[in-house]
Amino acid sequence: MSAPEVYSIAKTPVTCHAFNADRSQVAISLNDNNVQVYSKQGKEWILSETLSEHDKLITSIDWAPNSNRIVTASQDRNAYVWSLSPDPLTGKLVWKPTLVLLRINRAATFVRWSPNEDKFAVASGARAIAICSFDPENNWWVARQLKKPIRSTVLSVDWHPNNVLLAAGSADMKARVFSAYIKDVDKRPSPTIWGEKLPFNTICGEYSSPAGGWVHAVGFSPSGDVLAFASHDSSISIVYPGGPMVYNIRISSLPYVTLTWTSEDALVAAGHDCQPVVFSGSEQGWALVGTLDDTTASTASKAPGARTGTVGRLNSAAFNTFRNADTRGHTGGDAASDTELLTVHQNTITSVRPYVYNSEGVVSMVSTTGVDGKLVIWDVNAVSALTGKMGGLRV
Amino acid sequence: MSFRKIDIDAYDEDVLLEAELCEPDPRDPAQVLSDAKQKQAAVRSTLAKGDIPGALGIALDSTPYGPNVEEAKNLTLQTVVSILNSTKSSEINNVVKALSQDAQDTLMKYLYKGMGMPGWGDVSGSVLLGWHEKLTEVAGTGCIVRVMTDRRTV
Repeated sequence: MSAPEVYSIAKTPVTCHAFNADRSQVAISLNDNNVQVYSKQGKEWILSETLSEHDKLITSIDWAPNSNRIVTASQDRNAYVWSLSPDPLTGKLVWKPTLVLLRINRAATFVRWSPNEDKFAVASGARAIAICSFDPENNWWVARQLKKPIRSTVLSVDWHPNNVLLAAGSADMKARVFSAYIKDVDKRPSPTIWGEKLPFNTICGEYSSPAGGWVHAVGFSPSGDVLAFASHDSSISIVYPGGPMVYNIRISSLPYVTLTWTSEDALVAAGHDCQPVVFSGSEQGWALVGTLDDTTASTASKAPGARTGTVGRLNSAAFNTFRNADTRGHTGGDAASDTELLTVHQNTITSVRPYVYNSEGVVSMVSTTGVDGKLVIWDVNAVSALTGKMGGLRV
Repeated sequence: MSFRKIDIDAYDEDVLLEAELCEPDPRDPAQVLSDAKQKQAAVRSTLAKGDIPGALGIALDSTPYGPNVEEAKNLTLQTVVSILNSTKSSEINNVVKALSQDAQDTLMKYLYKGMGMPGWGDVSGSVLLGWHEKLTEVAGTGCIVRVMTDRRTV
């Protein structure tokens, strides 16, 4: 049970982040068209490189752990695949970009490498998902599009462990599971709970939450047999296609925009509520377990600097509170804490990713980045109960 | 040359229609209206007995939503507001806690609908706001977000 490691990486919002395989480097988009690569030096993250190729804001980055390639997707309707290669002049290793023509006519919103790192999926506002695979003959990334029956912007995608199925959450209020089987790249996949013999663009399932709402985030469980999605109606839905059963958990706080599974029966979700929250369950049912952000502990450490003066009636904290209220108009606490949230993140969390896998393949630590420019690493087991609904809320 | 005045979006075949986003009320509109009238009568009798939670339960159950059922929607709104007006402010908390999550979400929808009607502010503003405060304490901001996102408008 360790405290979260907080790094204030930037003064601007962090749109997305991706760590490399050994977590020594992180690629970040600071809401502009450059990729900033930070390296860990001791206890700090130092900017080591800036990758500039995109013309517009980079919406999503993913770093393939085994092949060490970065894929970036941007509002300029392109994706670039970056790989490390020696610079011909200096001999140093530099990141070389390769353009991928996605053939979309709107911004790209999300990108993820497939588990085998031979394909990646790019979600876009063009109501399509571009599945890109490498064509060794022409030394070129080829894109094929999943179009039907998507009716609006695709907000996020997640790959199934078998490298063929893809879950997509869209702004037309639906979460769908597609087959992204590409003939020459994939071997015929063995039948799964989602179906068998699935040619490209087959729909294996379409789900939505009862109150509707854009589907912000989707995720397959580690085995691939369960699908979870977070939608804008402040709910999380967990789908068991074998049942078929859909568990819909309504939450009393603001919607989640990102989620990640930590094990077969637990997941971490985060979003506009500014704290990562843990859900747990099984085929019998799911429930909210608690938050990774222990708000009570943090208020204690942020207590206003106690005026350690001489002990006496006129130097007590209570006297000072009333004096402040009278002379300076401060009502309660110092001015700083009136505008600070009680949670570690001071603004929406935009992305939560697994950070450390323990020996059984269960995620034990997750990393989050948010609109407040912070990168925080959380211990998944440090769960504490959510304080009373209005406890963390400052109206 | 009138092509400058053409509404190009009307000719767009692939446009996303409201109907695709929300399924309309499966019941027949006439049926919905008669249901609403029946509920109004049931609620009146329950209110006369002083059973607020029961009345609210009846009113918030299978409410009319979506297109084509305007009259039934207005009728149900009147019914719900009459219950809200007749509850003492000290009891609001208990009543709200006793509602199911579905009922809480539906109640919040009616609160916002009532607040949105022009001219109602003078008549029932304080009642609606008082209920809104107590309901948010119990159901949280998630309930309000659900009212804003749900296409099944009451």
